[in-house]
Parts: sequence; structure tokens; C-alpha cells
Amino acid sequence: MSAAPTRTDSTPPAALPARTGEPVLTLTDVTKRYGGRTVVDVPRLELGRHGIEGLIGPNGAGKTTLMKLVTQAVAPTTGTVVHHAADGGERRLSGMSADAVARMGVVKSNQVIQDFDSLTIRESMLLALAASRRERFFSLFGERAFRRESEATIDTYLERFGFADPDGHAGSAGEKKLLDIVRCLLLRPSFLLLDEPTAGLPQAETDKVMELVRERTAAGEMSVLIIEHDLDLIWDTCAHVHFMAEGQVVLQGTPAEVRADATLAEKYLGTSHV
Amino acid sequence: MDALIFPLSTLAIIVCLGALLHLQFGQAGIVNFGVVGFSGLGMYLTAILVIEAEQPFGLALVIATVVTGLVAAALGWLILDLDNEAVLVATLAFATIVWHLSTTEDQLTGGVVGLGTVPLPFDLGDYRATTLAYLGVLVAIAAALVLYARQVSRVPYGRLIRSIQDNEPLARSLGKPTFRHKVVFFAVTCALMGTIGGLDAAVQQFLVPRLLLADTTFVVWIALILGGRTRVLGAFFGALLTVGLFDIVVEQYVEVPREYSLLLPDLQLMAFGMVLMLVILFRPAGLLGDGRKRRAPGAAKGASA
Repeated sequence: MSAAPTRTDSTPPAALPARTGEPVLTLTDVTKRYGGRTVVDVPRLELGRHGIEGLIGPNGAGKTTLMKLVTQAVAPTTGTVVHHAADGGERRLSGMSADAVARMGVVKSNQVIQDFDSLTIRESMLLALAASRRERFFSLFGERAFRRESEATIDTYLERFGFADPDGHAGSAGEKKLLDIVRCLLLRPSFLLLDEPTAGLPQAETDKVMELVRERTAAGEMSVLIIEHDLDLIWDTCAHVHFMAEGQVVLQGTPAEVRADATLAEKYLGTSHV
Repeated sequence: MDALIFPLSTLAIIVCLGALLHLQFGQAGIVNFGVVGFSGLGMYLTAILVIEAEQPFGLALVIATVVTGLVAAALGWLILDLDNEAVLVATLAFATIVWHLSTTEDQLTGGVVGLGTVPLPFDLGDYRATTLAYLGVLVAIAAALVLYARQVSRVPYGRLIRSIQDNEPLARSLGKPTFRHKVVFFAVTCALMGTIGGLDAAVQQFLVPRLLLADTTFVVWIALILGGRTRVLGAFFGALLTVGLFDIVVEQYVEVPREYSLLLPDLQLMAFGMVLMLVILFRPAGLLGDGRKRRAPGAAKGASA
């Protein structure tokens, strides 16, 4: 592109609201190349400083790939992703397996519908809740105790969200999408990456999901990064927005700042959104 | 009745291997096409330790089980993150290697001449009573394996291995170390196939490499597909309909003209092939039906309990 936007690696400091905390994740020199094509190139990015953050940009900007680079579902070509735990410990996520990253509390929901065909909704939730000490080939007993322990937790989700039959299989696309997000929430992540959570969900369920996400974040239980094309949701919910284009984070700031950056927004989103 | 003890013992062995294959393929989705490789390894190791090294049967069986498990762990570590086709080919190749070794390492195995005689592990004084008791042991083990498969499908571990079969990347994204689980589960179930092979050595008594040909794998697979791979009792019913029908009912009770008796094994394979095609065409989930609709009420029951 001829008129490549200037990169703003550091966020504009003056206009920001009070910083709510230290970053949960720091990406340094993270790139992903497929063949000769660079799909993500992020020299430095801090995530999780502001509670709920948004990640926006046109299709193909590399948003989902960036999330997958964080969770190690996709291995970065270069660079490091460092997780800062609440107790001050630091762990490099790059090089870890995807399941180890999830056990560190960094969890991503799926944009494309994913489900376990042979598990009912309740079984799927039990799977998310089961601790590794229960998941051994010789652990044949304790299912009742486990279900009793999990009952209250699962019931809060079942009461809150609209599942038709918890002991049946997730039927509609919306139910599968909702279950995908609920499974992530059941893991009690410290950093949750939501990849287009509203796509395929009925508005009522979207509202409930976002309400729960706001509650958890306000309670300081987790930080969130949301990819979303519903920009009203981004402007309303996020304290901070990262704007990606062509694999690069070209703009960061408060929703107001990003919206105000008219040339950029117009260039990629069209004027109707801003 | 005496003539039935041997085929019934064989049937029990097939049910055991079928239950283990149900765990591997029906629950965890591991496409093990080398069943006979693992059971055969256990069989020959047990026999060699008993006959050549003069070890007691029990110790030989334990060593054979552990060695088979370690070999399976190494193989699993190499292949279990590959796709299903690769796992199928690799396990089939493994079984072929084991068969080949049984013919070439003739100092240990007796080669094509054979290796014998493996005695029964205990002696009740009367041969008939001993073989009958041994059949009882095999039936008890088959029952234990079926019960294990049934129980494991109802606990967190069962959900975990089903989730790996359904959608491994999704299971991994929930923090489940799927590769490690697959290797461990594969190693344990293959080790038990080795145990079953070792027990089979005492049924066969005289071992020849022909026992390690892929026929056993095919019979176990056909039994499982016929009965229903996701059903715990699938392998049991499948084995009854294949081995039970042919090796017991037809061979023992049907008068076959002498000139046709040589054709019987071929006819049997043909019938298996036909049935397999019909099952895949009309009952792809096996004769016991699809596990999906029936599983949900079971889960509901467990939840309210």
C-alpha cells in the first residue's frame, strides 16, 4: 500500500485514562510468515493493561492469527510472547505447547464453530472443569462427587444462558458458539481472547456474555481481548483499542482516540462506522 | 463339550482384543491396525521366556506386558501426532515387522518350524479341568475389560479421550495435554494386548509365525465394526457373530462335505467382507446402533444422582 499508515508503537500517553495495571502479555518482535507472505509483524505489543481491550481491523489484517500466536495454536516465526502472572512471575509462552498455555490461564474462544460431537452440553462443561488429577486412565471412580462439586458452577451458567437441553447435544450454531465461550469461562482464565464472540449468537445471548465478561473483568479476575466487527460493542465495552491492518498494529488508544483518527478509520472501515 | 474349550478360549481372546480396540479406536479414535503386532509380541515374548529362559509363566507374562507397553509407548510417541491414515499404516507396518521377526529370529522363535510347547500356567491334575479353568480365567478377563471400558466412558477420563477423538485442537485449547494422554493410553492398552497375546500363547500351546498374520487384526476389526465401535459390547456381539458363528457353530455342528471343507476359510473371509460392506452401507455405527442418542439419557441419570 502506498499510503501506509505510520506505526504508533507506543500508545499516546497523555490522553489515556488511568492505567489500570501492568500488562498481562508482552509480545516482542512477533512475526508470522507463510512462505514469503508476512501475515503478522508486531515489534512490540502489550495486552491486558486495561481490562477489556478491543482488536479491530479489516478482514485479513491478521487479528485471529495474532491471537493464535499468543495461545501458541500457531507457532510464531520469530519473537517472544511473555506472560506476566499476578504473582509477578514471568513465563515465556512462545515455545510452550498450546495446552500448557491454556493451563497458564491464557484461553481463546473460537471464531469458527468448534464442538465435541460426542459430548452433551453438560459433559462438555464437565470436561472443561475436570482437573488433570481426575483425568487418568485408572481414575474410574469419583464421578458422582465430581458432578456434585461441579453442579453449582454449571447451574449458574445454565441459568444465565439459554441452552435448550443441557443433557442433549448443542444443536444450533448459536448454541455451539455459546458453549464454546462458556467452556473458556469455566476455565477461569486470567487472560481471555474472544474471537468474534457475537458472530452467530443471538443478541440476547451476546448481551449476557458481555455482561458476564464485564463483571469478571471489573472484579479483577481476568483481562480480555476482543476481536469484533460490531464496532458499537467495541466502543461501548473496551477501555483500549488496538487497530490492526496488514499484519501490523497501526494504531492504539482509547475508543475515542481511535474513532477520532478519521483518515485511518475511513480508509479501512468506511465512514459509516465512525 | 471338550472340543468347544479351544474355540471358546479363542473367542474370549478375540473379545478381549476387541474391547481393547474399542478403547483405542471407539473411544480415543486411535486407528490401530496392528493389533496382532502387539498381541503377537506379547505372545512370543511370553513363550520365549517360558520355554527358552525357563521362567515361570506369571513372571514371563508380566515382563512381556511391560516390554510390549514400552515398545508401544515408543511407537506411539513417534506416530500419534500424525493423522489417522499415517497411524493406520504405521501400526500395520509394525505388526508386519513383528511377524517378520518371528520368522527370521529363528534361534529364539523357532522360525517357521514353530515354538512349543507353552504349558498352561497352572495344573489342576486333570487336563480337561485345567483347560476349562483357564477358559474361565479368560472369560473373567474379557468381562473385566468390558467393565473397564463401560466405567471409563462415564468418568472424566472417558470424556477426555472422547474429546480427543472428536476435536483434538479444541481439547488442547482447554488445557488438555492430548498428545501425552494419547501416548499413555495407547501404551497401556497395547500392553494389555500383549498380556492377552501372552495368555493366548498358552491356549495355542504351539506357536508358529502364521499366528501373527494380519488375520487376527482383521477379525478383531470386523467384530468391532460389526458390533459398533462406540459401544462397549460391540466387540462382544461382533465376535459372537464372526468367530462364534464360523469357528464354533459352522465348524463344530454343520456337516460340510469333505471337498468343501478346504473352501471354508475362504468362504468365511468372503462372508466377513460382505457383512462388513453391508454394515458400513446400512448401519455405519454398527449393529448396536449409534451411541449418540443413547448416551444422553445416561448422562442425565448420572447428573441427577
